[in-house]
Parts: sequence; structure tokens; C-alpha cells
Amino acid sequence: MGSKDEWQRYQEALRSGDRAAAAEAFRRYQEAKRAEGKGSSKPTLVNLSTKAKAYPNAIPLDRVPEELEKNPEFFELMKRVVTKEK
Amino acid sequence: MPVTLALADFDLPTRSATGYLLRWIVPRLEPVHLLSVLDRRLPFQLSAPQSDIIIGTGHGGVDVFTGQNEAVILEVGKYDPREIEGKVIKLLSCQCGVELVPDLVENGAACAMGYTDDYLWVCDADLASVPWADKEFAGKCLLPVIGGLNALLDGKTAQEALDTELAQYDCYAEIEEDELIKSCIEFNRDNAVLLGDPEARIRPRPGLLLPFRLIPPPPIVLPLRA
Repeated sequence: MGSKDEWQRYQEALRSGDRAAAAEAFRRYQEAKRAEGKGSSKPTLVNLSTKAKAYPNAIPLDRVPEELEKNPEFFELMKRVVTKEK
Repeated sequence: MPVTLALADFDLPTRSATGYLLRWIVPRLEPVHLLSVLDRRLPFQLSAPQSDIIIGTGHGGVDVFTGQNEAVILEVGKYDPREIEGKVIKLLSCQCGVELVPDLVENGAACAMGYTDDYLWVCDADLASVPWADKEFAGKCLLPVIGGLNALLDGKTAQEALDTELAQYDCYAEIEEDELIKSCIEFNRDNAVLLGDPEARIRPRPGLLLPFRLIPPPPIVLPLRA
């Protein structure tokens, strides 16, 4: 299955509100990306929010699934980013 | 009239964003810039009233914009309106567009630009010492910001500068194959706001000429804070 299909599954999992499913879907998305030869040295998701937020300012992509599972605030952020739902 | 450029660089996101400004904006502007340890409240208070434009990158929230190590630079209700009166302001930070940007305009800024939600992007941590070289990831979100700022420095209006930034986000999103990066580009684009006078403009600055286009700055050697 290609990375685009895995991305759709990730979007669906975010919409459903299931954090474990979203984490697993993101893992599979990354595996698909690597299989397509699109991995990079050390890609990291960063943001410019203050320490008041419950999620880190820099999250290596391979740790995003873990953060999705344990951190509801990060899950909500990713939901807004990926699904465009406010 | 100088520019007030507030550039925090104490962690990966601030270093990445500041790196792009150092590479593409700083060579166009007059010194002195509030870089790194200078990016604090007191130097800002001294510099801002003399400037026609304030450009800042650092961590932020709905009512606050911070500098080095999250030292507060601007916070709703806690600054002197003379610091921002009549100025064009651009804040590359999270959520400042919710309360701080409207407050700046209410207190006399000619116009202010920011983002109404988190500003986020993917960057390559291996390039932390040369963040401007990270074109594959960070550039796709940060180059549109640079494009908008360059439009302002070319003498375009604030609305034209914002339109430039938005159009560049569209271009990068259109060709981006990585779904996560594409989502970040679109998210940042959708959250960009301009309040105040859309016709506000500043004195044009000279363009970035050779040899600056060919020679990148030296690596940043300061260690990242743990």
C-alpha cells in the first residue's frame, strides 16, 4: 500500500478521535514513505508555541506516533493540521 | 530609520526560522539586530520606537510574543504603545494573531501580521548548524514567509506582501508530494492574518545583491539548549 493510502487512513483515524489508531496509521505512513525511498536524515516536526503547551516544540517524525498516543493536545493539533477541522 | 529584527535562536524551531531570516533578510537591513541573547525586552524597548518595521521570530501564544529563552518581548497590556505606533509588524510565531496582533493594531500599529494557530513545519535536525541549507523540508514553509518579507522590503504594501506569502504557500503545496509537509504548508497559509491598514508600507530597502546571493552565512556554532 502506498504512502497516499496510508495518509488517508491516518486522516480517518484522526477524524474518528482514536489516538492509538492514529499513531499506528502514522507509523504505517512513515514505513510506506521509507519503502518509497523518501526518508531523510532526521526530519523533525517543529512549532513556535510557548512552553505553556503540553507538547514539545520539536518532535522527530519517528516519535510522532508515541506523542499522538499519549498526548491529547498534540492529537488535537494534528487533527486541525491534517483534517483542517477547527 | 532602522529595522527592529527580533531573532531568537535557542532551540531547533527558533534556529530554523532565524536561520532563514539570517540568510535572506538580514543582509538587506541596517544593523543592529536583536539576535540571540540580545533578543530580550530591554533592547527591544530601546530599538523598536526608532524603527519603521518590526520583524520577529520566536515562540508565542495568543497574547504574547517571546524572544531568547522565551523572554517576553510583547504581551497584551504590558508594552508602551510608543514602541509600536505607526509601525508595520510581522510576527512569525504561534497564535499571536488571536489577541496580540489585534491589540497591536488597536494601540496604534499601522498594521500587524501573524498566525491564528500554531506555526509548524518539518525541518532537518541534522542541519541545525546551517538551517538555511534545509531546503528539502523547512524551506517549503519558511521561504513563503521570506517572500512576503522581501515584498515588504521592496516597498510593496502589507496586503501585497501577505498575498505574496499566500501565493508562495499555494505553489509549494501544489507540488509537494509529502502529505505531512503539504498539510503544514496549507495550515500555516490558512492561519495567516493581516490586521490594520492593508495599504501600509515602509521605505524600500536595497535588494540582496551579489555576493550575498552566492555566499551563505557561516554555520551557527552555539550549542542547542538541552
